[in-house]
Amino acid sequence: MADDSHVTAPKPPIPSPQPSPARRERGLCNPILLSPTGGEGRVRGPVKSAQSGLVRIGERPAPAYWRSVDELRDGPAAAGEFPGGLGKASGSKAAEELTRRDFLSLMGFSMAAVSLAGCRAPVQKAIPLLVGSDQIVPGIARHYATTCAGCPSACSLLVKQRDGRPIKIEGNPQSSLFGGGTCATGQATVLSLYDEGRARGPSWQGKPTSWQELDRRVLDSLRAAEAARGRIVLLSGTLTSPSTRSIVQAWMRRSPNFRHVVYDPVSLSALRKANEQSFGRASIPHYAFDRARVIVALEADFLGTWLSPVEFARQYAASRRREGQQPLHVQLESGLSLTGSNADVRLPLPPSAIGLAALGLLRRVARRAGAGEVPEGPEPFDAKRLDAVADALWENRGQSLVVSGLQDVSVQIVVNALNSLLSNVGKTLDLARPSLQRQGDDAAMAELVDDMNRGRVHTLILYGVNPGYDYSDAAGFLSGLKQVALSVSFADRLDETSSAVHALCPDHHFLEAWGDAEPVHSHFSLSQPLIAPLFDTRAAQESLLRWLGEEKPDYYTYLRDFWRKELYLRQVAMKGFDAFWDRSLEEGVFVPESTEAAGPAEETHFLGGWKAAAQDIVEGSRRAQAGPRGGPYEVHLYESVALRDGRHANNPWLQELPDPVSKVTWGNFAAVAPALAARLGLENGDVVALKSRRGQLELPVLVQPGQAARTVSVALGHGRTRAGKVGLGVGANAFSWAATALGVRRYSASGVTLEKTGRKDPLACTQTHFSMEGRPIALETTVEALREEAAAPREAEVLPSLWAARPGGEHAWGMAIDVNSCIGCSACVVACQAENNVPVVGKDQVQRARAMHWIRIDHYYRGPEDNPASLHQPMMCQHCGNAPCETVCPVLATTTSSEGLNQQVYNRCIGTRYCANNCPYKVRRFNFYDYTQNPKFDFNMTSPLGRMVLNPDVAVRSRGVMEKCSLCVQRIQLAKNDALQGKRELADGDVQTACQQACPAHAIVFGDLKDPESRVSQLRQDPRHYRVLEELGTRPSVGYLKKLRHPEET
Amino acid sequence: MRLPSILAVATIVGAGASLGAWQLSRVGVHQGYAPGQPIAFPHNVHAGENRIPCLYCHYAARTSRHAGIPPASVCMNCHGMLEKQTTEIAKLKEAVQQNRPIAWVKVHNLPDFVYFNHSQHVVSGVACQRCHGPVEQMDRVRQEAPLTMGWCLDCHRERAKLPTLGIQRAALHMTHGSKPTTGLDCASCHY
Repeated sequence: MADDSHVTAPKPPIPSPQPSPARRERGLCNPILLSPTGGEGRVRGPVKSAQSGLVRIGERPAPAYWRSVDELRDGPAAAGEFPGGLGKASGSKAAEELTRRDFLSLMGFSMAAVSLAGCRAPVQKAIPLLVGSDQIVPGIARHYATTCAGCPSACSLLVKQRDGRPIKIEGNPQSSLFGGGTCATGQATVLSLYDEGRARGPSWQGKPTSWQELDRRVLDSLRAAEAARGRIVLLSGTLTSPSTRSIVQAWMRRSPNFRHVVYDPVSLSALRKANEQSFGRASIPHYAFDRARVIVALEADFLGTWLSPVEFARQYAASRRREGQQPLHVQLESGLSLTGSNADVRLPLPPSAIGLAALGLLRRVARRAGAGEVPEGPEPFDAKRLDAVADALWENRGQSLVVSGLQDVSVQIVVNALNSLLSNVGKTLDLARPSLQRQGDDAAMAELVDDMNRGRVHTLILYGVNPGYDYSDAAGFLSGLKQVALSVSFADRLDETSSAVHALCPDHHFLEAWGDAEPVHSHFSLSQPLIAPLFDTRAAQESLLRWLGEEKPDYYTYLRDFWRKELYLRQVAMKGFDAFWDRSLEEGVFVPESTEAAGPAEETHFLGGWKAAAQDIVEGSRRAQAGPRGGPYEVHLYESVALRDGRHANNPWLQELPDPVSKVTWGNFAAVAPALAARLGLENGDVVALKSRRGQLELPVLVQPGQAARTVSVALGHGRTRAGKVGLGVGANAFSWAATALGVRRYSASGVTLEKTGRKDPLACTQTHFSMEGRPIALETTVEALREEAAAPREAEVLPSLWAARPGGEHAWGMAIDVNSCIGCSACVVACQAENNVPVVGKDQVQRARAMHWIRIDHYYRGPEDNPASLHQPMMCQHCGNAPCETVCPVLATTTSSEGLNQQVYNRCIGTRYCANNCPYKVRRFNFYDYTQNPKFDFNMTSPLGRMVLNPDVAVRSRGVMEKCSLCVQRIQLAKNDALQGKRELADGDVQTACQQACPAHAIVFGDLKDPESRVSQLRQDPRHYRVLEELGTRPSVGYLKKLRHPEET
Repeated sequence: MRLPSILAVATIVGAGASLGAWQLSRVGVHQGYAPGQPIAFPHNVHAGENRIPCLYCHYAARTSRHAGIPPASVCMNCHGMLEKQTTEIAKLKEAVQQNRPIAWVKVHNLPDFVYFNHSQHVVSGVACQRCHGPVEQMDRVRQEAPLTMGWCLDCHRERAKLPTLGIQRAALHMTHGSKPTTGLDCASCHY
């Protein structure tokens, strides 16, 4: 197991075909990039259907897609078409042993129970407001602009408030940065508000106390600290709020012993450090992916988790929609990330080789730029493909972008040198107006932990951080915490850190609080409370002001004053501060006119210093070559799209969200390459022990196509020990492996051994649920193929129908999903869950293929298992005109409406599940349990607090009924009513489905197909448009736009 | 001898079965339900004698799915100035003074799987009495209609045939489409 010699040697590229003239014109291509398998590509084992060419149904060829390694090797039947039957899964033996007599007696009992239940009139109370308000009309939802605090990206939101409760997060389309999109985590933050794990009020050493008592103790201790000249430290996460930063500055002015340390669990501090050395600015640039024609990302999951994914997804998708002008996206990474799965060209490399690859790129670009020699070093990858990438970069100078998420200052300096030589600075990345989204300083944090352990810190205030869980040396931090005279935490619950502090001063949830944010320099947004605080909590800013000595601090007044002083004068449009404030609050965002007017920033001067960095990388690799310690494997740590750094671990929506790439729910895993798994005899769910100097991790294996050969990827954010009932003990905590080296925390480790433990821990993975039996579901094309089609248009085939034509209604609702824009981020999945009261079912039920999500994102692979191309396809009820589900329902519980909706009538459904079996799209979901009453499903719907998030306009389904996507019919009906009230016609865009609203890539368009001018009708005319399995004659109302493969890729 | 007894048994069984079926069909139907209220509010005095428009108190019915029970502050718009005092009015004033909301008992309950929107019907010109009966004559409000789906559809089907709807739609400048929307689709109410 320990010897693993075959991996690093590069293999010669497979000769590739000559580029066509059309490709040559574009000037972006290089034949090497076209190589279908790349350098190391090969297919192992017998391959039946997936690789055997085209699968044909009707007249349409389907590309050879596969969804799991087993499917690639053995064909699609392995996965099974109808998972989730009753079988053993009913959970009780009774169901299996039920006799006819038992059945009859149960039926008799049910009849009697129904009659009895009907005899008594249920008394329901209706309690109106005592004093009416024109702001609150029961049953009418209002949207308020605020700012997300789910992560430091600080996206602008519009939050739907219904009867005084925030129930749904939506993106704020007014925001020029985020463009109305959200991410899955942001969508789920509304559920965190109603989390039973939240602290109910302030406590002192674990015992509930009053705010007055707590303030007295803290103020006493602060006075003692002043007297003893003890150090007072505020340890916070990235503070995007300018007004909060100004409170921190007030603390600094007051006390010379005050320090502010910023700590991000997943930090970008190497990037800031490198920029300080390269450009003289310790800041993070504001990137413009939409201006780049070539994007090279080194271990940066910028569409999933890195820095500002919602903004980057918007930019990225917008540039992908420029037909014929699609950017080339090259990803070099160790584990298959969401971003990597969208890349046109992807090179899987172990973390240790990515720096060398960056250096290789610099070597090639510097040679072309005549910028001097770059030290030679090993090139443990396909050199010719790197040549091609460098060519593409060089040909697009000023329109390219190289980003790296590696926590390595030298690599970041090399990346800076690349961007500088390519004249990208000031064009695709802006240092003059930097991003303020990740400000963590790893060196300062390491120093603080050291100081704490030496007893040099008197008072420690923790704000929005949980280092007892997510710091690499959590034990060191917690032991240091014991040396501190007073420790205070603003955490929202008793977590790993705050259960060890003296004073817990719970902060509001952001939906209960005032606030502001400046995610990017001079792009401001406001937060406002959507609900009065549910518990006895207090804004952290108010606590900080109180301890500054203010008697009756009011953060709202402070915030207004701050905006009056700092921002009001930066605009001229609004006269009077109140008008300015009201408009900013209404719009949620404010960009000073000077920012808007300014063109691209001036080029920031590159200070050089890259030669030393390059030398550093070369020497580092030599050292690693010379003395390999420990085992042959490397571990790559990453944030998962759903749980991120683990702060939302108690959120059941996020725990059950299938990971966009692996589709694993409820827990993390060790992702290994198929080749490695085959060699070590590992299967999905085999528990392995990873050992290094940093300790031992035991995790189930996931065989992940596209994983770098001898690298194991492990998601952070799992294995919480004090999070709440949902997040407790799900997965394993890998943060201890993120060791600090040279002042930055690294999210990779080498010299790791991997041992099979012999145990099994089956994963709850939805990737292989609902096999499509090799049918042509997901389709792709190229610009060239489209051009050929346009030159020789085929006549549209008229399919005969057995059914009589139905009389149409006033509208014909339809949807078009651009698979080319969809990045697979899964924001829509959580948005749908929130909008439609979709229950959480837990790990055991997901393993039985009973996840209830109405929309899922199918992840298809194509090509060799060690580096396949990916395709993400959102799949939900296709709302067939001739629905196969409809004809088999014995009770007419599912029918097609006059407006083209396939309607599911819950109260009519008797649960035969014939419809689900007959659905070719596998989109129907059955309620095997009563998820709102059954205490086994203790997630959020079983408690009165958790139920506050439910949408009152959508019925909560009971046990034994089928459900599925309704195309948000409640939103359609509401929009129709609004039009009726306003005596106007419905306009295109009046109805937005929840998935459409959430999509940061704007991949989903919904509208009326009867209106030829509507966007969805226009998209139907697109040559890329197709309907899934149209040849079956189902006439779906939902259509897709084929994935457009980059000419470099196919 | 035998035949009559068989017939008699069959009749009894048949009658019992039909009665049972009829009973079952009435499960969940609470026509005539007239619960007592915390304050005996007489609609006949307010809406009948004093001719206060329904939508004055139930103002939410114009815009919202819920007609809403008026906040006590709406009652006090008049009762704050009226001198008339009864034990029931005293209860209202006491609630206002003590800042205590009044827990009324809902009379018209639809099952959770039905979506009903008042404003849609109000704006389409359906009189309140059409579903709620002569409330202006009721001392204590009772559920007049069965509120079953068949009862809803009776009206919806009738209105689909009415020519006035076309005129009404023209008045609303709705020219698009040919078929009046009367909500005969399942998903008009069930989602």
